[in-house]
Amino acid sequence: MIVNVWYSVNGERLGTYMGHTGAVWCVDADWDTKHVLTGSADNSCRLWDCETGKQLALLKTNSAVRTCGFDFGGNIIMFSTDKQMGYQCFVSFFDLRDPSQIDNNEPYMKIPCNDSKITSAVWGPLGECIIAGHESGELNQYSAKSGEVLVNVKEHSRQINDIQLSRDMTMFVTASKDNTAKLFDSTTLEHQKTFRTERPVNSAALSPNYDHVVLGGGQEAMDVTTTSTRIGKFEARFFHLAFEEEFGRVKGHFGPINSVAFHPDGKSYSSGGEDGYVRIHYFDPQYFEFEFEA
Amino acid sequence: MQDAENVAVPEAAEERAGSHAEPPVPAQGEAPGEQARDERSDSRAQAVSEDAGGNEGRAAEAEPRALENGDADEPSFSDPEDFVDDVSEEELLGDVLKDRPQEADGIDSVIVVDNVPQVGPDRLEKLKNVIHKIFSKFGKITNDFYPEEDGKTKGYIFLEYASPAHAVDAVKNADGYKLDKQHTFRVNLFTDFDKYMTISDEWDIPEKQPFKDLGNLRYWLEEAECRDQYSVIFESGDRTSIFWNDVKDPVSIEERARWTETYVRWSPKGTYLATFHQRGIALWGGEKFKQIQRFSHQGVQLIDFSPCERYLVTFSPLMDTQDDPQAIIIWDILTGHKKRGFHCESSAHWPIFKWSHDGKFFARMTLDTLSIYETPSMGLLDKKSLKISGIKDFSWSPGGNIIAFWVPEDKDIPARVTLMQLPTRQEIRVRNLFNVVDCKLHWQKNGDYLCVKVDRTPKGTQGVVTNFEIFRMREKQVPVDVVEMKETIIAFAWEPNGSKFAVLHGEAPRISVSFYHVKNNGKIELIKMFDKQQANTIFWSPQGQFVVLAGLRSMNGALAFVDTSDCTVMNIAEHYMASDVEWDPTGRYVVTSVSWWSHKVDNAYWLWTFQGRLLQKNNKDRFCQLLWRPRPPTLLSQEQIKQIKKDLKKYSKIFEQKDRLSQSKASKELVERRRTMMEDFRKYRKMAQELYMEQKNERLELRGGVDTDELDSNVDDWEEETIEFFVTEEIIPLGNQE
Repeated sequence: MIVNVWYSVNGERLGTYMGHTGAVWCVDADWDTKHVLTGSADNSCRLWDCETGKQLALLKTNSAVRTCGFDFGGNIIMFSTDKQMGYQCFVSFFDLRDPSQIDNNEPYMKIPCNDSKITSAVWGPLGECIIAGHESGELNQYSAKSGEVLVNVKEHSRQINDIQLSRDMTMFVTASKDNTAKLFDSTTLEHQKTFRTERPVNSAALSPNYDHVVLGGGQEAMDVTTTSTRIGKFEARFFHLAFEEEFGRVKGHFGPINSVAFHPDGKSYSSGGEDGYVRIHYFDPQYFEFEFEA
Repeated sequence: MQDAENVAVPEAAEERAGSHAEPPVPAQGEAPGEQARDERSDSRAQAVSEDAGGNEGRAAEAEPRALENGDADEPSFSDPEDFVDDVSEEELLGDVLKDRPQEADGIDSVIVVDNVPQVGPDRLEKLKNVIHKIFSKFGKITNDFYPEEDGKTKGYIFLEYASPAHAVDAVKNADGYKLDKQHTFRVNLFTDFDKYMTISDEWDIPEKQPFKDLGNLRYWLEEAECRDQYSVIFESGDRTSIFWNDVKDPVSIEERARWTETYVRWSPKGTYLATFHQRGIALWGGEKFKQIQRFSHQGVQLIDFSPCERYLVTFSPLMDTQDDPQAIIIWDILTGHKKRGFHCESSAHWPIFKWSHDGKFFARMTLDTLSIYETPSMGLLDKKSLKISGIKDFSWSPGGNIIAFWVPEDKDIPARVTLMQLPTRQEIRVRNLFNVVDCKLHWQKNGDYLCVKVDRTPKGTQGVVTNFEIFRMREKQVPVDVVEMKETIIAFAWEPNGSKFAVLHGEAPRISVSFYHVKNNGKIELIKMFDKQQANTIFWSPQGQFVVLAGLRSMNGALAFVDTSDCTVMNIAEHYMASDVEWDPTGRYVVTSVSWWSHKVDNAYWLWTFQGRLLQKNNKDRFCQLLWRPRPPTLLSQEQIKQIKKDLKKYSKIFEQKDRLSQSKASKELVERRRTMMEDFRKYRKMAQELYMEQKNERLELRGGVDTDELDSNVDDWEEETIEFFVTEEIIPLGNQE
């Protein structure tokens, strides 16, 4: 219920953003880390001052906020709400440059999403569109200006749990319950690569400086009666982007991994698990030396 | 094949029986047919009792109530005035009515007996006595007639029974009865004479059946690389595939949706693939796996092939009726015709019929009886079963027409293991055993040895000890030697082509494996024992020498690959949660698998070399079962095989050369594939980056002129801040973490 900021060097806590009264599903910071945006199951989306932790705005919603994000310039925020308690799934857009939108809780645009709820979403490059993954496994690109669907593809057969962009935002990787992660082009949503595992994938991240992708997931606790860590396969798995081949695994979590992220310098990565731990792993020298024979 | 040699203590045995990649077949009690029958009889019973209550006319129900209540308010038992009895007699007395006297003109009850001795009046009385003794077994004889000519009987007689059923019984059982050397009775129904008289004398030439060319049913044996085939069922049974086994990747030959409704079976020589359907069994074969034969048997659940592939035995719990036995049907595979049907109460100990190694005989055990049948007539051998009082189990030798069976102790008579030669029924060896709890018969695959595992409770000791009684079949008078085991036996298995056997013994977690060698002089030598094994099943290579010890299911799929020639453990490995182990028919490869039938995740089959080197991991969605296609026995003579073994070095050079070529080709292919993938990917990235560069100005504009393209693009604007950390570093090797 509390969003925290930590030092990745030693795991020391730097500060908190206090206020949410339900599980926080999503966090984003704008490019110059002035603001932080959080969405929660307490039916609110909140804007914070990044440095002081002060709550700047509270946007009430009818259902849980599943995804949120700042656009490229940090001026527009979007968040999506769950299909829940008789309410439909919506994506709302606010322009921070117009304070009345926040004050009156009146988004400049609200896209209804009737068919299948949004389970993950990010801004596309340059803030012209958002890319949303759905419960059905579909991917949609919505225009941030008109709200219309620009591109629709369905490459996954089950829910898309996570979408993360590459550093240059030209491509992104999806993580799906169908046991795969896939690489797409951000502009065309053209499918590029598939990374296969034997377990639902909850999160996938692209390395900022290598052709590597890391996948986190594992058997859902509710799906097996005796989830030993061996059956669950709660491992972070590293694949080569071009060859789609796995080259490394990191064990450690004793529950499914919910999210993975690379350090912006690409020298370490961190994973958060259902077991309540966030683990930060630094790569050994072999990681940087390793190359496929090609 | 493995089953015959590889039997374990009850618990493990059960596990293994289930584990043998068979889908769950409903237990006998739950078999649909059984249930239906039960329900019917139940509902009948209920109908009667309800009626009794509702009617209040029957004393059975009313009496206790009257007693209970004393005479206070005794209910009236009389029917109301307008009561109409709507219960039919059939419902009330069905079981009694069946036997009520039937009207018949009597002809149906008459039999004619031929080949009766011709006697004069002086011996007629004696003959009549003998005849009476033989034929009154089947029912009361109400009338007899001995036609005479010239003062002697004519050699045939007429007997009349009280009911036609008795006459039928007499024909069934007394036909072929040997009175003495000269006189073998032929018994027929009198009415049959009528029937046969009316058969037309004209013979119609049967229509010629066109010859169906099925192609070469053994084409797969001619494959240049000598690869083997296997069948795979996956997607929880929806899809079935046939593959060539290849070191690199399996090569698909055929894949069909809903090919079978439950599972598949290969015939013993690999000619046919049998698929199971609600309406019966289908056999497939030839290069394109075309349908070769169909056998219609509603609700079929279990099948068995004769070792010669001539006959198919099918079992269905449905449709068995008193008059028309069809719980078990034996079919001729080539013609597709039904040869004979049998009744069967329970399929618990499948196969019910066990075949002799050459398919000439098949036998079945019932209470105190061993019935041996002959092919192709499907009749009882010598027209009678063997009475063996108390028989518990029997088994054919895989190397000759010898049956082994055992009977438990009965008061002062010791338990007995008997070896019987067939068709002569000569007992070639009998061994008496004392204080026996249980016996298990294990034949070595060639029939060279028989091991009887005897669980005993010797007097004056506590608990059960196990003896292995080893019969040397190839020697005169079949000498027997004994190995005594102090520990609980988990599994036993003969080396298929050899004189060694392996035993798993002890209690978890202290399980050991012992290898014994039966020497020519009969001495049984312990070659080697390994303790602390994680294993509950033994899988010998079909060629012998190599063995896989597997801890299936509850033991997490631990695997040990052992070479028994020098007793070295070649590799220790694991296929987590593995439920099955299957050697290929040549003993070159072995497959371990996690079947969806026993475990719902990670369904896959892994291919290993006989030395335990992992070659492939094949994940298949809801994989159920893998079965290797068996090969027929080799056509090479012992000498030729010896010669090949002698020249092995010569051949191995050729094969090594081939392997090297294909390996370098494979790695070349892989590198080539990666190269094209990389090129394509680079092309894509170049395009994307060009677009990215074009958008540079837009990006700058959106972020107020700050360049954020690289981590250090705007390093000049950075403000330096110094923070001190206390960092404790601990390096943990990742490999050892759980």
